[in-house]
Amino acid sequence: MQVDVQSLGTFNRLAHEGAEQATSALAQMTGIDAAVEVTKISLVDRADLGEELGDDDYVGVQFDFEGAMAGETVLVFESASSTEIAESLLGDVDTDAMARSSVEELGNIMMSGFIDGWADYLDAPIDHSPPTSFERAGSAVLPEAPADGDRDQVFVFRSQIEWVEETVGFYIYMLPAYDALTELVSEQAAAAEDAIPVEKLEVFNRMNRQGARTAAAHVGEMTGIDVSAEVTQISFCPIEDVPRQVGEETYVGTAVEFTGLPSGYLLVLFDEPSAVNVAEALLPVAPDGDGLTEDHEAAIEELGNIMTSGFVDGWANVLQQSVDHTPPRLVHDMGRAILDPIAAQLGQHQQHAFVVDATMQTDEVAVRSEIHALPNEAELRSALEALDVDRADQTDADVDQIF
Amino acid sequence: MKVYDGTDTDQSPDPDPDRVKVGIAEYAVTTDGAVLTTSGLGSCIGVALHDPASGVAGLAHVMLPAADEAGDGNPAKFADSGTALLVEEVDAAGAEPATLEAKIAGGSDMLDFSADGAGIGDRNAETVRETLAAHDVPVVGADLGGDHGRSLRLEPGTGDLVVTSANQGTDRL
Repeated sequence: MQVDVQSLGTFNRLAHEGAEQATSALAQMTGIDAAVEVTKISLVDRADLGEELGDDDYVGVQFDFEGAMAGETVLVFESASSTEIAESLLGDVDTDAMARSSVEELGNIMMSGFIDGWADYLDAPIDHSPPTSFERAGSAVLPEAPADGDRDQVFVFRSQIEWVEETVGFYIYMLPAYDALTELVSEQAAAAEDAIPVEKLEVFNRMNRQGARTAAAHVGEMTGIDVSAEVTQISFCPIEDVPRQVGEETYVGTAVEFTGLPSGYLLVLFDEPSAVNVAEALLPVAPDGDGLTEDHEAAIEELGNIMTSGFVDGWANVLQQSVDHTPPRLVHDMGRAILDPIAAQLGQHQQHAFVVDATMQTDEVAVRSEIHALPNEAELRSALEALDVDRADQTDADVDQIF
Repeated sequence: MKVYDGTDTDQSPDPDPDRVKVGIAEYAVTTDGAVLTTSGLGSCIGVALHDPASGVAGLAHVMLPAADEAGDGNPAKFADSGTALLVEEVDAAGAEPATLEAKIAGGSDMLDFSADGAGIGDRNAETVRETLAAHDVPVVGADLGGDHGRSLRLEPGTGDLVVTSANQGTDRL
């Protein structure tokens, strides 16, 4: 399958429209004022699907669908918020069974809205099965991605719906069947010259994973903390949705601009408690003063530099292109405000962005870090065009040789 | 109450929300006192309009200076078209053009890697000011530039624009 930027943009819009329909159905039924926060399309390892859901318990309302599009879709929300949702529907809720049945009904209505939104957009019928609902922990709430030979990476369409003024959030996951998606993409594709074979995106994803592992290894060497790279994915979204990829809380980290093919930006971000913990692991003596001191910030800057080099060197080796980067700039601000000027700089030349996300964490100390790479979209396409898939396969055989 | 998402469709089914969040490249107008908020402004600018006479208020979160540079279909994304659109929409919602006032915040130059010329934050601010001037809307408060992010809260009752920064505290314009 070849994916081109225009059809990815179309699909993003499509998923967003579906989520808007679902949200509108929710509002009509309950008066809940909700808004679709983010819609993105990601290419992710099958095994990592839904890792962002953590270990909490979730309620899922799932449909299979077929027609103009085929696959599985599920509405997901935290079990803990079922009662809150049910009460907004019914007023008082006396029993768990009542809560459960009203939440299922809500899910049914939202997801019918979602699928109808797709069908309207494609102007073709999509049939769906009756819903099934269940309660499961973490990623187990998601359906298995449709079987597809031996492909280990799958496309997932994700929308996040936020209930204004409340803590309840809904997620809609849509897992298209590969064949159906391929067919739709080829129908939607306008210009073949900007198409990227999916195989190359998959290789790029593997490159990013190796880059993240190298970065994690560098942190481990410097701090003595055993750090593992958790998830690597490449997502595609409108440029204005880029800042929403991170939370509203404050982050500490580094930003660099990289040049070469592709050019772009790379951020290494820690939430504040993680930044303090990881910096103290790096510093010979605990710094004076509370919270995040200048010593902490200097340590984070050094870590950011090492992690950035680890990540970018991996790219350079596989792409056989030199990728240089500016010295890291320390950032300490609201997460979205950090991403905002970077999105704006890319947005001068492109309407959509590829965002590479990796997370890493450790069990020993509470440290969580995110890497976000934002390559120039047209240059990434050129770099992937030139990418020798055979060479990338060597990466699997002997990672150390390449990275 | 109408909430626009920049695509000219009225997506807000709730007749009386207390607070409306405005995302990047979006805007909202209120006639019923709902508080308008937006978060995570870096080089983006929050344009707040308020008419004390009618109580109509609007908030836009614009990202890039000029629509004609990008050929993008969403006018709310750009400082020139987004500001003009917001002025039109608050007028359409019943604001009195003669008493309309603007407060603006954002336009930080954090993480501006460009070596030459004015950064996006500065150019956004300049374009917003020019567009407001062209519509005869006076700027009565501004918190622009610097190297930090901002979040905004526009209180239509008073027209106050509350500016919060991660490290610089809170300011009321």
